[in-house]
Amino acid sequence: MSNNLKKGMLVAVLILVTGVLILRTGPSSEPGLPVAGGSSRLSELLNDQGREGYAQAIEDRDFVFPADHGPHPGFRNEWWYITGNLDSENGRRFGFELTIFRFSLTPPGTESSEEVSAWRGNQVYIGHFAVTDGDARQFHVAQRYSRGSLGLAGAVAEPFRVWLDDWSIAGARPGGRSQDEYAFGQPWQLQARDGEIALNLTLVPQKPPVLNGENGLSQKAAMAGNASYYYSITRLQTEGTLKIGDREFVVSGLSWLDREWGSSGLSRDQEGWDWYALQLSDGSDLMFYNLRRSDGSQDMHSAGTLTLADGSTVHLSTDDLIIEVLDTWQSPRGGRYPIAWKIEVPEANLSLTIDPLMDAQELVTTVRYWEGAVDVSGRRGATPITGRGYVELTGYEGSDGPR
Amino acid sequence: MPVLYRASFGYLLRHPWQLALALLGICIGVAVMVAVDLANESSRRAFLLSMDAINGEATHQIIAGPAGVEETLYTKLRVEHGIRSIAPVVSGYVRYEDTTLQVLGVDLFAEREFRHYSLSGRDENSVVNSSATGRSAADVISRILTTPGALLTSERTAQMLGLEIDDEFRVMAAGIEHDAVLVGLFAPQEQSRLDNLLITDIASAQQWLGMRGRLTRIDVRIRADDERLSQQIEDVLPPGTQLLSAAGRTQTTLDMSNAFMTNLTAMSLLALLVGVFLIYNSVAFAVLQRRGLIGVLRALGLTRGQTFSLILVEGVMLGVAGAILGLLLGVWLGEQLLHLVARTISDHYFVVNVTDVSIAPASLIKGLTVGVGATMLAAAVPAIEASSYQPRLAMTRSVLEYRVGQALPIIAVAGLLAATLSALILVFSGDNLVAGLFAMFLLILGFALLIPIAVRACSRAMAPLAGRLAGIAGRLAISGIAASLSRTGVAIVALAVALSATVGVSVMVDSFRGSVSEWLGNTLQSDIYVGVVRGSLDADLLEDLVSVPGVESYSTSRRTWLETETGRVRLIVLMMAPGSYAGTAIREGDPEEIWQQFDKEGAVLVSDPYAYRHDVGRGDTIRLKTKRGDRVFRIAAVYQSYDANGGAILMSRHTYDIFFDDPTINSIGIYLGDGVNIDGVMDDIRQVSAGRQSLIMNSNARIREISLAIFDRTFVITDVLYWLAVGVAVIGILGAMLALQLERARELAVLRAIGMTPGQVAALVTIQTGFMGLLSGIAALPLGLVMAWVLIEVINRRAFGWQMDMTIDPAVLLSALLLAIGAALIAGIYPAYRAASSRPALAMREE
Amino acid sequence: MASPSPNQSVQIHIRNLCRSFEEGGRRHAVLDNLNADFIKGETVALRGRSGSGKSTLLNLISGIDVPDQGEIEVAGLNITNMSERDRTLFRREHIGFVYQAFNLVSTLSVSDNIRLVLELNGVTEPEAGNRIREMLDAVDLGDRAGSFPDVLSGGEQQRVAIARALVHRPSLLLADEPTGNLDDKTAEGVLQLLDRLIRQTGGTMIVATHSALVASYCDRVLELHNGALQPAGR
Repeated sequence: MSNNLKKGMLVAVLILVTGVLILRTGPSSEPGLPVAGGSSRLSELLNDQGREGYAQAIEDRDFVFPADHGPHPGFRNEWWYITGNLDSENGRRFGFELTIFRFSLTPPGTESSEEVSAWRGNQVYIGHFAVTDGDARQFHVAQRYSRGSLGLAGAVAEPFRVWLDDWSIAGARPGGRSQDEYAFGQPWQLQARDGEIALNLTLVPQKPPVLNGENGLSQKAAMAGNASYYYSITRLQTEGTLKIGDREFVVSGLSWLDREWGSSGLSRDQEGWDWYALQLSDGSDLMFYNLRRSDGSQDMHSAGTLTLADGSTVHLSTDDLIIEVLDTWQSPRGGRYPIAWKIEVPEANLSLTIDPLMDAQELVTTVRYWEGAVDVSGRRGATPITGRGYVELTGYEGSDGPR
Repeated sequence: MPVLYRASFGYLLRHPWQLALALLGICIGVAVMVAVDLANESSRRAFLLSMDAINGEATHQIIAGPAGVEETLYTKLRVEHGIRSIAPVVSGYVRYEDTTLQVLGVDLFAEREFRHYSLSGRDENSVVNSSATGRSAADVISRILTTPGALLTSERTAQMLGLEIDDEFRVMAAGIEHDAVLVGLFAPQEQSRLDNLLITDIASAQQWLGMRGRLTRIDVRIRADDERLSQQIEDVLPPGTQLLSAAGRTQTTLDMSNAFMTNLTAMSLLALLVGVFLIYNSVAFAVLQRRGLIGVLRALGLTRGQTFSLILVEGVMLGVAGAILGLLLGVWLGEQLLHLVARTISDHYFVVNVTDVSIAPASLIKGLTVGVGATMLAAAVPAIEASSYQPRLAMTRSVLEYRVGQALPIIAVAGLLAATLSALILVFSGDNLVAGLFAMFLLILGFALLIPIAVRACSRAMAPLAGRLAGIAGRLAISGIAASLSRTGVAIVALAVALSATVGVSVMVDSFRGSVSEWLGNTLQSDIYVGVVRGSLDADLLEDLVSVPGVESYSTSRRTWLETETGRVRLIVLMMAPGSYAGTAIREGDPEEIWQQFDKEGAVLVSDPYAYRHDVGRGDTIRLKTKRGDRVFRIAAVYQSYDANGGAILMSRHTYDIFFDDPTINSIGIYLGDGVNIDGVMDDIRQVSAGRQSLIMNSNARIREISLAIFDRTFVITDVLYWLAVGVAVIGILGAMLALQLERARELAVLRAIGMTPGQVAALVTIQTGFMGLLSGIAALPLGLVMAWVLIEVINRRAFGWQMDMTIDPAVLLSALLLAIGAALIAGIYPAYRAASSRPALAMREE
Repeated sequence: MASPSPNQSVQIHIRNLCRSFEEGGRRHAVLDNLNADFIKGETVALRGRSGSGKSTLLNLISGIDVPDQGEIEVAGLNITNMSERDRTLFRREHIGFVYQAFNLVSTLSVSDNIRLVLELNGVTEPEAGNRIREMLDAVDLGDRAGSFPDVLSGGEQQRVAIARALVHRPSLLLADEPTGNLDDKTAEGVLQLLDRLIRQTGGTMIVATHSALVASYCDRVLELHNGALQPAGR
């Protein structure tokens, strides 16, 4: 492994990224890099002494908005996560993902007292940006990282803004329209650019924030504190432009915001997860994360939320869903991903089939995972239903396929 | 090998000492040249490599004035303008124990776009073992970012400093100690040399180097075809900040040392020039002594062309063999010279860390080519001579000498022509350094050609006197010089040229040292100098220092670099005490008026070298980039100075504070009241500064000593080359004397046969060689003085812009004379012994 | 005026030859309007006092020196009109030299001294080796091929010189006091050898000598006196 160190600094940074991503992506990484070894150690760190000094997600808390849109520096890691499905004016299909992770290198209060440089800080930000060009069957990915000081990257609650270089998600000024039109909070402005791709969107929440898990406390493993605070805004009306090369598309569609923070990660026997965020034509939104154990079984801490059109929610646990894999996709870089599913939610009388917008939506960043736009079809009882959404699949890169 | 060539080489093989001396001459000549070239190139290469490694992928740099770049510019470029191919750098120097280390403060996240090096902490491969000391690369990064003073070095540097991972130590930056901890090692990519380099987070570097809020530069990578990006950056840059090509900056820095390196090369060519005389000498002797053989070969049907190539091939083979030996010796010598060259460059131009000679094939090929080429030229003359021999049974000596005698006036005229051409070049070549050096060599050549005719006149005139003083042996000895001018002439010329070089260089260095010494005496007006190494004097401490009882007044100084349209320029910023105005010698103008303009009206002064290099003077203007944008400053005067780096601009603190945002003060000069005890004040200053900042404090006298020591250090390499040239000359004269006396063995045997005692014969040889030495010495003096004049008035002016007064120390001239006679006498010992102890009958049978 | 019988082929044709030297500002005529013809295959002795111009005449015939006036034709070639280079090439091919002082190349072995001439004439192995062996056998030094000149006696050295002079089968052999450095007995041996070999090859030989012994081996004896040639009594 050590002779693969030529990539230099990158390698070291990888581990950081892995450390940050570990909650979402599990203890795995590109083969051949020391990350594999390092990350397993880091996952230990995350689960044990690494938590010392950080705030823990142990008990219920009162979520306050818009304050909770902002950062929670007492916790070790945190992210702002937006995915969405877009159509251009002439019907071209796109998907996008913009995620900004925050990571504390040291517990709060341990920063050096001798602050003589604005560069010094213990916050690291990492960003992932992906665009799926469904018609052109192109998938664009970019990754960035930065320290959270000197204004290079950061997050503030009011006025809301989280940014990394020139990528940002920020509260947009309501210009021209009345405040009433934004019943669930002010619109957000999303900006990201990499190379030939530039995305510039305005997102208007259509529902209030939804607290996942138990009142926003999302238990990831049995041990206390092995959890995160987790809320979503499941439906944001989205408009803006997407530039690919010389072509600029005027786009509109629906986006999904996930917000999560905590100080721990997966337990050692968890291998990865499948996460579904589906926006259905009847106005309801379904989120479910399926934690997979190393032995291939479903972890009992898997859970989800069904948000109805009026904003009311139904908590879903492992027993509430039946998931069947219909198809798989072999990554050219190794690993076999499930790619199409049949999901039944008997209690809600839902029966859905999920197909990817395209197969190759694997993010080859420092860690590999699949995160892609999907189409949904099915029925609620006898009523046909359609929808779109995003699915995230982690922990498959070394696998022979879903077990 | 054809029989013909065997016939010819057989002679050389039978005279191995002559062969050896010829080889040695060319060998040393080539070796000195190659050594200087290798040392120069290695220094240059080490600098370029370290710059390459440090610049990494950066094609451009954003730099600002002396205070550095505002760090918020970086955020602005990255966040507002989305420019990613940029990386912030804070760099400078710190000391750890006795080693000066370069600090490269970086943002590791921005780095991977720029510098490539792999990184390892301890146990980077440990998977499960998370012992207390085990460090993953993630930990290393994390510590670099969060721990003040956490740093990385190369493994070699860590070894050199005796540091291991997790070792905590203290580094001294700008006189203040800081905590440091080695958290990991980086392995530079092959080729890159990153020795003596500490990589740390930009935050630590800012803290150590007192650069809070500032960056030394922002590295930028711009693809060659991306005009848009550079324009985009240019549009954002605040006044005084500029986007420059990284390669251009490196080259500009490197160029500062060009004059120095050119001078070294010239010195090495001098050694080669003497070497060429030796080769000529050797080959000419070999031809002379084989004129019988050549006569026979010609009679047997060897054409002129064949004779010419026979001798030339022989010379070239000698040259190749000697040059190859020279390359080997040169590599070794280069290693010895390297640290001298590197130290001088570091003293005056830029820090260069170089430990090993990098053997550049180009240097070796150059050495081989020049060596063989010079040999060919040197051998061509005797080869032409040999091919002109009539195919007689044997050409008599008298005919040969007669012909040489005939040729003398022609040679002398050629010499005069060369000297005239040299003078013309000197007059019409403007300030071209290479032309100046070429003219100097031409002058030496011209002078050398005049020597033989003078030698003949001298020895003819002196022979009767010698006869009266030393009898028949003396008379024969002296007249013999003129009688066998074909041999003695070359030897005398070779020694004279070598000696003249020593005289020229010595007089130049002496004059220079005298001027510098006088200038220092004049410049150093303060009683005590207090400063910090590479950093700023703490402002509060400064207040306290100048409040120490006994301090009457003080001046402050800031030395920095400015990037101008014409390259890097040294800027010296002075807040002058009343007593310090006298320390700057103004070349022209009313001092009172000039200082008024300097202090109050924003005018600047420029040094001699600056004025010379940029061809500016009093009343001209200089355009500088300031925080208020491009500003034009009037030159109030030119002042005397001996900067080695292309000249300096002197600016008043008042002006500087208006145009540059940099409160740094590097040093202060303290003036004491009458009768105040210097040592007492120095003790007080030590007490005041104790525990606050480590200061460098020197008395006036000590500064002077240190300055002269640096001066002397600069000329160590000159001395080394000087002695090598002398060495070549002594070997040459030794070879020439041996050949001469051995050729005369038969003649001497006849003298022995007709009744000369061994003592008389030995005396004859000794007197002859001694007199030849004397003639060389006498010839060397005027040539040496002319050379000194050229070095002072032409070479040093053109190279450095220095102005100095020529002073001649009679001791230098005397020692050159003694050296000449001594070398010649030493060279005569063996031939004298041989001549005295040979049995006449045996000697006569030889041939 | 010396001329051979008209019915025999003329090898060397000399007409109105003049050569003078400058000595201390005065011109001294060594050869003054000299005429001579030499027939192919004859051996001629040139006699005359020291300084009478014997060596000068040999140098002129061989093209080493050029006359002030007059013409020399050797084997039908007018060498007086030739360039220096052509004279050298002519000499290399047509002429062999034997000197009083032998003039062997001291740094070359006996066989290499001979080989030198063959090499100049472009004769390569194995031809060169055969000829050297032949010649060394002819001069009775077959066992000394590898020796260096300085270990040979005077007579032996001169025999090597003869071998060297004849190995390339020159049409003209010029000898300058070939026995001058040899004792009488040795001289006799060398002369016999020279005489035998030159007659075997059918070459012409001109010998400059004081020696009556040398002259006695020759077909004709000419006396050089006051710059001109006259037949001498036997």
